Amino acid sequence: MTEPDTVDATLRALLADVLGLGEDRAAALTDNSGLFGALPEFDSMAVATVLTEMEDRLGILIDDDEIDGEIFETYGNLLAFSLRKVTD
Amino acid sequence: MAMPTPEHILRITPTRTPRATILFVPPLFEEANRSRRTLVLAMRALAADGFAAQLPDLPGQNESLVPLAEVDLARWQDALTKTAAAIDGPLIVASLRGGTLIDHSANAAARWRLAPVSGASLLRTLMRARVAADREARLTSSLDSLQANAVTAPLLIAGNLLSPAMMAQLGSAEARPVAPLRTVTLGSGAEAIAGTPLWLRAEPGEDAAMAAAIAADIAAWSQTCGIS
Repeated sequence: MTEPDTVDATLRALLADVLGLGEDRAAALTDNSGLFGALPEFDSMAVATVLTEMEDRLGILIDDDEIDGEIFETYGNLLAFSLRKVTD
Repeated sequence: MAMPTPEHILRITPTRTPRATILFVPPLFEEANRSRRTLVLAMRALAADGFAAQLPDLPGQNESLVPLAEVDLARWQDALTKTAAAIDGPLIVASLRGGTLIDHSANAAARWRLAPVSGASLLRTLMRARVAADREARLTSSLDSLQANAVTAPLLIAGNLLSPAMMAQLGSAEARPVAPLRTVTLGSGAEAIAGTPLWLRAEPGEDAAMAAAIAADIAAWSQTCGIS
């Protein structure tokens, strides 16, 4: 569960579910792919849904004050945050 | 005092006498809109298979004239119990997501639940959407400060004006144990149906295959329970 590949796959599937990206677009996300502000589907409600689903699917708890705008800037940032939380 | 306007119920019925009625309890808040299209496709499939299907509006949701700030989970539960009591013949209650939090008191021959979720989890997402929207508007709020304000006055979160009673009940609500009950999740295996969690989706979507799977699973459960 804590393997980096598993976290990456879980996160891609989650973004596909919430943003309706489809498998191809989700698989094509790179570290530099923009999320909040870059994908029109990624609004504040989507941010909230992604956070709750990350908690459920990765088995982590995310604190309010851990979240800043940067986490959602790129896929790489979101993945790095998730990996950090999973190994904490 | 004027009598309250009855809530709208979407009914899809078979041409002959129904084998049984399936009363759907929709997901709560925005999740209801995101799932509605697929749910209605499932109702059509059930009607084609000889079942009557009903999808009631919860007071304060969808086309209801009741202000959302006046309702709470107890009132929703009560409304469903009354809707169920008005249905003739064998009844199966089928609830999705947050609908599973209010389905336990309706009198039914069997229950079916898809992807149950805790009230706390729903509330957390709504509160986070409010915090994220506040941040975009350069206002400072936190889950804690919002929770504190919500004890005494209705709180507007993600477009929903929720009463202190609703906030408190949501915070602790879990699906109750009932029997006979079949609970399915999304995925693969005997206790799951294949599909997409449309209730999470930022943009509306539909999943016809999932609707067919929902209808087939409910029909099979009806037979297992000896209903028809």
